[in-house]
Amino acid sequence: MTGGLPELDPVIHAQARLRVVAALSPLGPGDRIAFPRLQDILQMTAGNLSVHLRKLEDAGYVEVTKTHQGRTPATLVRLTGRGRVAFEDYTAALHALLNGTAKPQEES
Amino acid sequence: MEAKDDELPPLDPAESLRLIAHEQATTARRLTPDPRLLLWPWGLAWLIGFGVFFLRFGPDERVLVDMPDWVPLTVLLGSMIVAGIITGVVGARAARQVSGPSSRQGAMYGFTWSVAFIGMATLFSRISDLLPVPEANLLWAGAMVALTGALHMAGGAIWNDRSLFVLGLAISVVNVVGIIIGAGWHALIVAVLGGGGMLVAGLVSWLRMAR
Repeated sequence: MTGGLPELDPVIHAQARLRVVAALSPLGPGDRIAFPRLQDILQMTAGNLSVHLRKLEDAGYVEVTKTHQGRTPATLVRLTGRGRVAFEDYTAALHALLNGTAKPQEES
Repeated sequence: MEAKDDELPPLDPAESLRLIAHEQATTARRLTPDPRLLLWPWGLAWLIGFGVFFLRFGPDERVLVDMPDWVPLTVLLGSMIVAGIITGVVGARAARQVSGPSSRQGAMYGFTWSVAFIGMATLFSRISDLLPVPEANLLWAGAMVALTGALHMAGGAIWNDRSLFVLGLAISVVNVVGIIIGAGWHALIVAVLGGGGMLVAGLVSWLRMAR
């Protein structure tokens, strides 16, 4: 514990990518959501969402899979274990910032 | 350009936390099927199906509304099949949005309902002719409701959903009470408390979700 303010993850510290990761977080581990559904939840354009997904993918936070459901191609998105940890750390850091100081880590 | 603004960090931590909570709630809401579509078809099927049962096979073998004796079971099974198709389609549509362990879980749970009912119907169709009509009806109706209650409770256990579990428990208790009171009354009790209960449960979960 340094006691200083926690650093915020630069990958998620952009409004759009924070929204993407937050929207993916309620899915169960291993669950993948269809791209159009995610787009619908976030109200982003397909191009815009693709750009942010690529950045998150580069960081290893999401996994984008192209597959087929029947004959129609489908793109599925999943939050990786690493992405989930990053999101939880980010949320914990926000709480710490909000309380002014870094709170001692609670057991989990 | 919107994409440039997107790179900006949120204004402050409190704002970020609100944003996170909002997105999580939106995802949960969009991926959970409307509880009215899952519960109301069954509530109506029970209300109508067991209601007709009560009118034809009332307490003490009274006939409140005259109709051929095959009508009640046909109406009940028919309305339950319709309800099953509706909830199956709703569930499958929800499952198409997400693939992975949780949609496999949902598919296995849905399949369990079909298998359990087919097993029960196969057995009863072979032995119910041996029973007097009121007892045969009570056997069908009581077992159908017992199975439904138990499967709802199992669903509550699978998804850690307390309200689904309580609904299953309430259905099971109402069923046992109805069976003890006897043929005829069982149909009325299950129609009103079971069917009505599912309609109310659908409304309550929908209102809770809409907030």
